[in-house]
Amino acid sequence: MSYSGKSVKRLYDDKFVTGRSTYVDDIKTNALYAGFVRSNMAHGKIKAINVDDAMKMNGVVAVFTGNELNQIIKGGIGPWTTYIDPRPWKIPLWRFAQGETKYNGEPVAMVIASDKYTAEDAVKAINVEIEPLDAVIGMDEAKQDKVLVHKELGTNFGFVGDFNAGDADKALSSADRKVEVEIANNRLIPSPMEPRGIISQYDGVNLTIWYSTQIPHFARSEFSRIFGLPESRIRVVMPDVGGGFGSKAHIIPEELAVIAASMRLGKAVRWTATRTEEMMATNSRHNVFKGEIGFKNDGTLVAIKGTLDVELGAYLTYTEGLQPTIIPPMIPGPYRVRDLAIKSRAIYTNTIPITMYRGASRPEATFIIERIISTVADELGMDDVEVRLRNLVREDQMPYTNPFGLKYDTGDYPTLLKEGVRVMEYQKMKEWAAEERKKGKKVGVGLAYYLEICGFGPYEFSETRVTDDGSVIVSIGGTPHGQGTETAIAQLVADELQIPIERIKITWGDSEAVPAGTGTYGSRTLAIAGSAAISSSRQVLEKMKRVAARSMKADVEEIDYKNGEFVHKKDGRKMTWNEVAKEAYSGREPGLSASVMLEGDVTFPYGVHMAVVEVDDYGIARVKEYRAYDDIGRVINPALAEGQVHGGGTQAVGQALYELAIINENGQLAVTYADYYVPTAVEAPKFKSYFAEKYHPSAYLTKSKGVGEASLIVGPAAIVRALEDATGKRFNKTPVTPEDILK
Amino acid sequence: MLAEPGQRVKIKVKVNGVEYEEEVEPRKLLVDFLRENLNLTGTKIGCDTTTCGACTVLVNGKSVKSCTMLAVQANNKEVVTIEGLSTDSRLSVVQQAFKDNFALQCGFCTAGMIVQAHYILKEKKPLSEEEVRDLIHGNICRCTGYQNIVNAIMDASRRMGA
Ligand code: FES
Ligand code: FES
Repeated sequence: MSYSGKSVKRLYDDKFVTGRSTYVDDIKTNALYAGFVRSNMAHGKIKAINVDDAMKMNGVVAVFTGNELNQIIKGGIGPWTTYIDPRPWKIPLWRFAQGETKYNGEPVAMVIASDKYTAEDAVKAINVEIEPLDAVIGMDEAKQDKVLVHKELGTNFGFVGDFNAGDADKALSSADRKVEVEIANNRLIPSPMEPRGIISQYDGVNLTIWYSTQIPHFARSEFSRIFGLPESRIRVVMPDVGGGFGSKAHIIPEELAVIAASMRLGKAVRWTATRTEEMMATNSRHNVFKGEIGFKNDGTLVAIKGTLDVELGAYLTYTEGLQPTIIPPMIPGPYRVRDLAIKSRAIYTNTIPITMYRGASRPEATFIIERIISTVADELGMDDVEVRLRNLVREDQMPYTNPFGLKYDTGDYPTLLKEGVRVMEYQKMKEWAAEERKKGKKVGVGLAYYLEICGFGPYEFSETRVTDDGSVIVSIGGTPHGQGTETAIAQLVADELQIPIERIKITWGDSEAVPAGTGTYGSRTLAIAGSAAISSSRQVLEKMKRVAARSMKADVEEIDYKNGEFVHKKDGRKMTWNEVAKEAYSGREPGLSASVMLEGDVTFPYGVHMAVVEVDDYGIARVKEYRAYDDIGRVINPALAEGQVHGGGTQAVGQALYELAIINENGQLAVTYADYYVPTAVEAPKFKSYFAEKYHPSAYLTKSKGVGEASLIVGPAAIVRALEDATGKRFNKTPVTPEDILK
Repeated sequence: MLAEPGQRVKIKVKVNGVEYEEEVEPRKLLVDFLRENLNLTGTKIGCDTTTCGACTVLVNGKSVKSCTMLAVQANNKEVVTIEGLSTDSRLSVVQQAFKDNFALQCGFCTAGMIVQAHYILKEKKPLSEEEVRDLIHGNICRCTGYQNIVNAIMDASRRMGA
């Protein structure tokens, strides 16, 4: 009996296919409904908020502004100090707008009403007078520091850091060739299908929050800090969550306002973002790298020097501080280049604050380095595969410490590239495309390579509990929200305990039921929560052996365990799994459980992906096929892993070709969901996903690495490369629009 | 039907085989009526632009985005939601095919997607992969990349003997 390695069906699908799932908005409570009045100005002084008409409306309970709300919202939204060192940062206080508004769309008043229709009516009835102040919308203007987003900071630069390794100037001056590069990842919106949602209930002592989040435990600590309540009095419950992609590891002022209102009124308050509100809440990406590269005539990349500008928007969100500090050290990627000088700057503008999105930092770093490697190939007339083989870290150099100190754990990068090219039929597809182009069709094939960093610590919690009927409940600190990781973890536990998977239930997402947890993001969950679950299950099994031994009046060393039976090695006496479980609850020992806190470390999956693109006469590009070859360590459930490749790949199609969060000159988000162009089934490619024939394990007990973000990390680079093959033009930004293609 | 603000109108709707008589505000959307008045929360709201299809239901056998229709427009009509596609013990062929083909991840688009699949498979005629993609292009899934959804619908179509 072995489950791991097989495409075991997902355990909890029935409720989703029958409509019995429970997302935040599906929870029935006797709650009031919140609505938000928003600023229509990028920067302005709030002169007056006229609420009289709204207050007269039937069903309107209250209208709050920052003046009242910020008495309850004591602390501001701050950076994720688990991963972000706040010391080098300049951070403004971010709560509910009070006195000034800093971005177009910022909530400036809150309505509490009996239902959402009334809340919406009341929002429309409120008249806000805002006197315009000078605003800076673009990064270039903001960099001049003439108009400041936050006067008190004295600058628009939130962070400036130098990432230097080796001697980039010397390497550049001795290079055979030098080329200038400019590479941009434009502003996007993660767009999980379930918009953000929250219900907050306060009974005068305890605060219970149902929250569409990826990080219930961190949210609890943040709410504790922000509202000045002890963690023991806050419970955060994550119900079913309809996707996150990083955007739900993020806290926004609207949510703080909902909590504050529930505390103030002593009643439950709920809010579900409309799609338009969701789009304003979770802008992400937008950074530009400008610099110079040096390489040898044989294709060896020897130097990268440049400046990375990362937009922050009007405030520093919980997660955006990651980007300026993770992108630079990941720029060398899987390549041996050792001389780099990267200045990283994070810049405030009067625009919607920026948060993270699937892959956060690695898509940017990968796009930058893959464009650079392809530039070398083009300048020298070399083949894409050849130039990569020349530069990839070799197996005899593993583990390899990159110039910024990141230790790449295991892998054979060149072999994977060669295998990938064969398995994905890259050469054949290239030849086919060349033939098609001769016939006048605009088709192209491109590939890109990636090295991901994931499995982020600092730790993960797991508890395995055997109930008195012998079934098993595993609580994990990871918080899957669609990935299906819970099924893979059940597979691991079933194998470890050698019992049928049907007897295992995985739970997560309730800060009171699960004592600790880090959450799900950064492709960390299977490796780290899965390993924690193996470990706590092992410990439970040891406890069960002891119970069996005691019951058989034997030493624990005399007990063997196999396939649900505890057997005395010498005399062959047996106890079944259920008997031992029952015995454990018979009074001698209070039940059977074990918990672990597993420390985590980073691990580095890698792979090569390929895209086939076709462009029509109007410059509209379609990705026809997408193929992936990844080494993600041991694959626990191939179907789930493949699902991540498909989903990330489709988001890559969006990022590369269609999705752009346009901000107009007033700082206003100038797209709706109807013209933001998330790919539909028509734009999505056909997928072929393969995993390395010989995997390179991680140090985790699962031996797995992580795959959740892989195709969004590398996909945009592969798709843009295919587009270059199709059109013969050069593109160094995402998305590449029809205008760019026709230009 | 013209109405004053706050006015309520009586409607009669058959939903998943059950007759309901309810009073609603004339401006109430069908999706809110289903979710709030009838507590049928399987139908989801993903957008405010009729773009996503998470709210898809069948009205008199036709697939409709229930965020684009008023509850009063469903007066005297028959509505089928995701909850009406299975009995407690048996999944529909399409629902089973979605499970078997890993055609969902977060599950938020799933109800709308399955209702739409029921609609396009009604006539039991063979569909090509391209046709399936075309017929579900009003339903956005942000998680799966559609490949497995398309596979599930093709699979269901075969199982239904198309
Ligand atoms: S909610 Fe109806 S189409 Fe999106
Ligand atoms: S499964 Fe998440 S949107 Fe489709």
